[in-house]
Amino acid sequence: MKSITKIYAITLSLLVFPLITKAQYCNYFHAGFCTPTDEKEGTYKPNGQSKSALFSKGQTSELSVVVYKGQDYRFALCMDENLGSQMHFKLYENKKIKVEKVIESKVMEDVYDENGEPTGEKKEVVTKETKVVEETKKELLYDNANDNFASELEFTVETTRRLIIEIEIPSEGGSGTAKGVAQGKGKLMKSSEMGCVGILIEHMATPKKGFYGTGF
Amino acid sequence: MFTIKQNIYTFGKSKFLKSMNNILKFTAIIAFPLLLMTSCGEDKPIEDLVDDTTEEVVEEVENKNYYQIPSPDEMFGFIKESGLKYNKSVLNSVQSVDSYTEPTQQALNFGIYSADLAYTAAFEEYQETIKYFGSVQKLADKIGLSSAFDKSLIERVQNNLKNADSLVSITNTSYFSVVDYLEQNEQGGKLGIIASAGWLETVYIVANTAKYGKDKAAIERLADQKLTLDNLIQYLEKYTESDPEVKKVHAWFKEIEAAFSGLEEKSSGSAITLKKKEGAKKMVLGGGENIRISEQQFTTIKNKISEIRNQIVKVQA
Repeated sequence: MKSITKIYAITLSLLVFPLITKAQYCNYFHAGFCTPTDEKEGTYKPNGQSKSALFSKGQTSELSVVVYKGQDYRFALCMDENLGSQMHFKLYENKKIKVEKVIESKVMEDVYDENGEPTGEKKEVVTKETKVVEETKKELLYDNANDNFASELEFTVETTRRLIIEIEIPSEGGSGTAKGVAQGKGKLMKSSEMGCVGILIEHMATPKKGFYGTGF
Repeated sequence: MFTIKQNIYTFGKSKFLKSMNNILKFTAIIAFPLLLMTSCGEDKPIEDLVDDTTEEVVEEVENKNYYQIPSPDEMFGFIKESGLKYNKSVLNSVQSVDSYTEPTQQALNFGIYSADLAYTAAFEEYQETIKYFGSVQKLADKIGLSSAFDKSLIERVQNNLKNADSLVSITNTSYFSVVDYLEQNEQGGKLGIIASAGWLETVYIVANTAKYGKDKAAIERLADQKLTLDNLIQYLEKYTESDPEVKKVHAWFKEIEAAFSGLEEKSSGSAITLKKKEGAKKMVLGGGENIRISEQQFTTIKNKISEIRNQIVKVQA
């Protein structure tokens, strides 16, 4: 009986596997399930940088977006219930910085005697060169763990920035009933441990304050 | 407004879970005869086996990095607000659409026309919008994206020619449905080519419409494209090894990156923060560095952008 159960499970895996591994089920998840702004709160428009993806429990992924000066943004996150009841997200500035690096290179050179003739031996010569290289630096701006795991964030942008939204789905929790799930990159896990995550991004021009166009 | 709502939205039965259930039902039907063939002589009822189907295993999703590119409408909405005037002469002629015969050239010009379409819609040039929609639709058919432009979308465009907001919304829908279609069909390389051309045309229009020293907001927004370009290049780099056409486009964008590299990032005097200011309703992302652009750098970028863009739209004699 056990062997037949195994055969059945393998057969199912072979049939289901190619279909499930494609993350396409999650496309446009954000449009259907992340809560858009209430029209009364302002005239936000959907932003093309919104994204949905398939996640598994314990997974952390990053979404790099650009937010422009003079605009207000609203991020709304949502996920399938089997991934748990709360998602952890952080916002970083993603910045390229130029740093000086000493690059060491080793070459083998011939050894010469006092008459300038090669001895047939070789010695290791280390050369050092200082080069300016570009590196990316992440600076934490916001962590929803310090904000009761809020799933929405609204802000005004004063300087254009490249941001990283880091989303982490906790390993534990959720309504999935699977047990003994393998963890780690490239391993197999139960489908009840997977689900869609969406990030709905909306934007609008920062409302002008004060009186405009009425003076002399 | 400091409006962080403390809710997590969960759903009793999402589309994903429904799809999973459908797949399970489907596979159960297919797998059932196999079971019958292999289960002869077993003494346990079949129901026991069916219960096991809820525990199938799939490959764990790897941690990923996604690089997003703002769509053209975001830029055009902004430059219209900033007072820049509509300039029809900078757009790619709709007459050229039938001259693009090579697939990569068609994909690139699909991106170019998509940006032109967004531009005409943002500036409420209704008659032009319908013409550019026609060009986008033609190229969509040629590069296998016709399913992203269904009949109802075309009817919506025709029925909303006098409604600026609806037209912008519909042209956005067409752009997003292309992105969605390509992502669903795992054609990330083609998406990269289209998004790159869309970005290039957007920057080309701004660079050839704005005047340095006069249109400050538009010029600043153009300088800020240095950051968007970083995302674009990183996106393309995911496909350069596997797709020679993406590699070619990537090489062009490295030339543009070199033109942007001289732009200075000057400190605003305070560190970058995301916090609520006293008396303000929303959080504010401020401080850090601002990107500065000189007139000479503007001209260098404009020339490089124009050179590559004109190479893409060029019609072979």
